Amino acid sequence: MNLQKHDSKTEMEMDMTPMIDVVFLLIIFFMVITDLSQQDLEDLQLPMAEHAVPDKPKSDEWRPILNVKHTGVMIQKRTTYFDPELNTGPRKYDELKNQLLAISNRMKKAPFAPGSSTMIPDEPLLIRADESTNFKFVQDIMEQCGDKNISIWKLQLAVSVPEQ
Amino acid sequence: MAKRKGSMLADIAGEDCKLEMTPMIDVTFLLLIFFMCTLKFKTLEGKLSAFLPKDVGVNQSEAEPKEKIEIRMDVKNPGNRVRPGAGNVAYTAQDEAERKRYVYDSSRVITFSVGAKKTTDLEEVRKTLTNFYAQDKTRPATIDPRAGIITSDVVELLDVALDVGFTDITFVGSYEK
Repeated sequence: MNLQKHDSKTEMEMDMTPMIDVVFLLIIFFMVITDLSQQDLEDLQLPMAEHAVPDKPKSDEWRPILNVKHTGVMIQKRTTYFDPELNTGPRKYDELKNQLLAISNRMKKAPFAPGSSTMIPDEPLLIRADESTNFKFVQDIMEQCGDKNISIWKLQLAVSVPEQ
Repeated sequence: MAKRKGSMLADIAGEDCKLEMTPMIDVTFLLLIFFMCTLKFKTLEGKLSAFLPKDVGVNQSEAEPKEKIEIRMDVKNPGNRVRPGAGNVAYTAQDEAERKRYVYDSSRVITFSVGAKKTTDLEEVRKTLTNFYAQDKTRPATIDPRAGIITSDVVELLDVALDVGFTDITFVGSYEK
């Protein structure tokens, strides 16, 4: 019975092609995954804060994030809802307002006060504003949040934590 | 049977067949670098919690509302716009047209008014707030940023207030009208 299939003198070479295939596949897979998970986060320079609570979102958790660029452009999930150069006039915040209303409707509700029958959203809206953003724009978002149909009252400001 | 197996292993060992480790190590390093990058990216961000006035409709809360500590922020000196990074390169009209990023240089001065006390020093504000907090740990505070204030100014103040111990911080807006 001859178990030896190869001649011991011939050099054994490994076929590299499947290995390279797998590596490319992994790279593409991770590129797609990271792109999807970063969709909410615009490329911004966040203000520094030393005592911030580290942001550790659960991967399957829904949470509303509104990005505000230094120009005042407001973006949620790659869609622009306000641009100070394009949206002007008294109804300039209509698009943003509709979006906030949609967010507000999706949030968990809690009574306005103990024993009250008025239900208002009980989840925070994460505002990711660039450090140079004029705070007027953030206040404008707050003003829209205060609308009686929206009534989002919990806020979080995204910051960057100094490296240890 | 056992003897047969033993001799087979001996045969293989005799062949001097080595597993090519280089591609394996390549892939491992690649994965390692990838995970290092993503982990760093995710731990970078933090968040500060604050609130908006909850006064929708008629206020039905029966408790006597506590007097709030009002902190007002005004721009004393807006400072100069410079390009981000070292060197304090001036931010030009061209940059603005291209909507490039800018930061303010160190000449920027903000006035904080805590109650009747006015100061431009954030450490002074910290002392005042620490005093207030020592008197009443549940006292709410409000932040009122006026015209020209930028996000990083507000975050600096919010950071101090949260560090002192305040938890009930509300933004009140004069909305620059």
